[in-house]
Amino acid sequence: MVETGTIFTLFLFLCAAGMALAAVTPDRRNPGVLAMVAVPASLVAIVMSGDVLLSGRPFEAALWTLPGFGPMRLSMDRLSALFVFVTGLVFLPVSIYTAGYMGRYLGRHSLRTFGLFYHLLFASIVLLLSAGDVLSFFLTWEVMSIVSYLLVNYEHGKEENTWAGYLMLALGEAGTIAAALGFLVLLAVAGRLDFVSLKAAAAGLGDAGRWAVFLLTFFGFGVKAGLVPTNAWLPRAHPAAPANMSAILSGVILNLGIYGIVRVNVDILPAAQAGPGLIVLVIGTISALVGILYATTENEMKKMLAHSSIENMGIITAGLGAGLVFIASGYPVLAGIAFTAAFYHMVNHSLYKALLFLGAGAVDVSAGERDMDRLGGLIRVMPWTGLFFLVGSLSIAALPPFNGFVSEWLTLQTMLRSAELPSTAVKIVFALCGAALALTAALAVTCFVKAFAMSFLGHARSGKALKAVEVRRSMTLPMGMLAVCCFLFGILPTYVIPVMDQAIAPMTNQRIADDLVPPFFALDAGGSAKFSPAFVAEFHDLGAQTGKGILPGRGWVVLHQGAERNPVVFAMSTSYTVVVLSLLLIGSVLVIRALTRARTVSVKPAWDGGLRRLIPEMTYTATGFSNPVRVIFAAVFRPMTFDERKETIAEHFRTAIRNGRKEVHVMDRVVLQPLIKGLQAVASLLGRMHSGSVNVYAAYVFISLILVLACMRVF
Amino acid sequence: MLNWVLKGLKTGIVSTGYPDREETAPGVSPGLPAGQQPAGPAAGRCLTGALRLGGAELQVDRARCVHCFRCIRGTESPADWQPGYEWAARAAGDRTAGWVPGSQFGRSLHIRVVDAGACGACLSEIEQLNKPHYNMHRLGFFLTPTPREADVLLVAGPVTEHMKTALRKAYEAMPTPKGVIAVGACALSGGVFGPSFASGAGVRDVIPVDVVIPGCPPPPLAMLHGLLLMVSRSGTPAVTSLKSQAGGRRDG
Repeated sequence: MVETGTIFTLFLFLCAAGMALAAVTPDRRNPGVLAMVAVPASLVAIVMSGDVLLSGRPFEAALWTLPGFGPMRLSMDRLSALFVFVTGLVFLPVSIYTAGYMGRYLGRHSLRTFGLFYHLLFASIVLLLSAGDVLSFFLTWEVMSIVSYLLVNYEHGKEENTWAGYLMLALGEAGTIAAALGFLVLLAVAGRLDFVSLKAAAAGLGDAGRWAVFLLTFFGFGVKAGLVPTNAWLPRAHPAAPANMSAILSGVILNLGIYGIVRVNVDILPAAQAGPGLIVLVIGTISALVGILYATTENEMKKMLAHSSIENMGIITAGLGAGLVFIASGYPVLAGIAFTAAFYHMVNHSLYKALLFLGAGAVDVSAGERDMDRLGGLIRVMPWTGLFFLVGSLSIAALPPFNGFVSEWLTLQTMLRSAELPSTAVKIVFALCGAALALTAALAVTCFVKAFAMSFLGHARSGKALKAVEVRRSMTLPMGMLAVCCFLFGILPTYVIPVMDQAIAPMTNQRIADDLVPPFFALDAGGSAKFSPAFVAEFHDLGAQTGKGILPGRGWVVLHQGAERNPVVFAMSTSYTVVVLSLLLIGSVLVIRALTRARTVSVKPAWDGGLRRLIPEMTYTATGFSNPVRVIFAAVFRPMTFDERKETIAEHFRTAIRNGRKEVHVMDRVVLQPLIKGLQAVASLLGRMHSGSVNVYAAYVFISLILVLACMRVF
Repeated sequence: MLNWVLKGLKTGIVSTGYPDREETAPGVSPGLPAGQQPAGPAAGRCLTGALRLGGAELQVDRARCVHCFRCIRGTESPADWQPGYEWAARAAGDRTAGWVPGSQFGRSLHIRVVDAGACGACLSEIEQLNKPHYNMHRLGFFLTPTPREADVLLVAGPVTEHMKTALRKAYEAMPTPKGVIAVGACALSGGVFGPSFASGAGVRDVIPVDVVIPGCPPPPLAMLHGLLLMVSRSGTPAVTSLKSQAGGRRDG
């Protein structure tokens, strides 16, 4: 077995080689070269993190020692390895996709710069995830922030792109400063930079210090994760970014925000009270609900996916919040389940969101259009893209047997377990959040029925959509890889959960593999210490041990055991579901075929109300489909309609009327705009100081000097 | 709150007894000129060409009659007049829509109404079928908004140029077996409108027709008869036979 350190060096070497090659290769060949280096690099990242995940041997490497602050070090434990694994899993297909996709920028933008930054971003993300001390964490964090800003702002000619990139950078840096301040509070008690000493010192932190660290880091990393109220950058950055960069932004970079929150507030400084957990839960739930509301009513494909990313990050955060509350209340098993749900959802979100963004990019390349109102009927010309986009939509809509179902189901089940908590107030918060998350799940189905149906089914609603053709294989293949991953993570949760459990166990001090995935394949009729013979026999009759002889693993059933009175709290098996579903599907096809064999089927044109000609624009549009949601939640959207008229000759003759509606995002309206107005008011108040007279400024300088000296004297 | 229940119980059943009993209420039908009858001066008074001289006899073309009563009012020798309403008949000729009489639609027939340029009179009578007095639901007849779910197309109007395509498309959109009922003088012959530059000479020129219901407009009972005939629940296919002699004559 090769040392993890060697593999890590190999990875860094590959990234460096990628950067060097990108700098010297001519633009035309650059995307191909990028894929040839980035694919092995991603494979190396997957192997490296997979090794740490499965073997549990953490990777440690000391870098330099800073005088007075201790060593800078790289350390990859299972938690980091889980994030690196997802990163590799997203970078692998995206790198292949890049080879086919970036050709559209040839001659317009520098592909060398893209290749250079792409490898730099990959390296900085992996280094960030394996940083073992605060300094290297923030160094790589800054490199990642700036490089991702440069890549998002790749098409830098357009004003709205520049603005979106600037907003992303500004909010991201605000978050970084807040997070750094949070770390400073920790450093004040620890005195050393590495995470291990921080963790050791954190136990001595007082209540005020704990709250300060929590609030600062949660806000700081929450910006990166796109949580409310600082989600404004996400729906603007995504449409500006190239599709492959969008996939990485949603599939990898948002996860880094989650990583920060987990590293600080779960690993280094575990919650001692329910308060922080509840805040995380509520913020997560609001993000989820707000995200999906705007996603459902958005017609621009990438903006819609960006809003949906906010939703998914919200669900993950809500799971984390539930876990924090359970830890603080002394329920490590439930906390483990909540964290499992959150991390599982994070992995799933990375997979299907990357898939959907690549799909949106393929549509954009092929049809030159991302407005769903102007697409339609693409499945006839782009069958593979359509199929993979369908898989992504089913996954994100949380329908079995795809992966989204497993994690959303676990999240909702976790919410229901709040019944075991002692405090009534906490229970009420959980119940409300659970209801809101259920509503979110329902709206997600609406949203992605719309996304798939309005783009790929029906009539083409514009000439561009009519002329679309299937994209090249280097773009469909990565989508296929991600679709297969979505399916596998959907039907094999019992193989995924034990691995995740090992990554989570150090934080909850509790293994939950036995509590969530009972070892049915290892049981015999006699039962065991954990399972009574009657219980085993009952599940044997239900088929829980089917496949025992041929397959490794624990079993195919996810099951949470309760007390004596209520032996099974929740149970499901997507593995068996997929078998039953396919049998039912094949069976019903056979039955229908047998019943209708004697019938003649006549194919007629669609009923169009007897019109002479059905114009594509007359068919159901994305706006029409989502309008009920827009009407029901009008209180949230607060649309403003405008009506502009052009009149001539004493306002008697109207030459043009233009009306439409504008919406300001609810978070912008409720939080950001009042904040900006307040700051401007303060600034104008301070502005009165500026009279322009030199004497007054000299007086200011003098007064400041006196004040400073006085302060120095007193303290 | 209970008032409407009590009122309903007090009012009792107001639906017509047809087809189990004859409907004898006055005014349910305007009546039509009787069939072959001795020639009189009435033919000259007919404006729509419903009465024609065929040798010594006066021929009545029901497809054209608009019940204007000119052949019986204000004349020395009025034509014979028949009250009653069982006027529907199977369309002559073999150009039908492939409807099998007596098929499985006996108690559930879904009807799509098409206004192919009607003046509104036929439609207003069709509307009556859905109201308590005629209440066609009790007989298993239902209106449906789309031809995809319809078994029978109920067409009124002479088929104007603008409705030709729509009517043809509606007919083609129906699943087989399907039937067509032409309602009213216009739908049978073009009536007082057609044929002209703007309208045709009836439904049959555009799509096949199975059952015809004359009248301008046909009273609702005549339409019920047509529908019953369509599903072979009425044993009165002939054009001439009449169950009832009691149907009132308007203003005698």
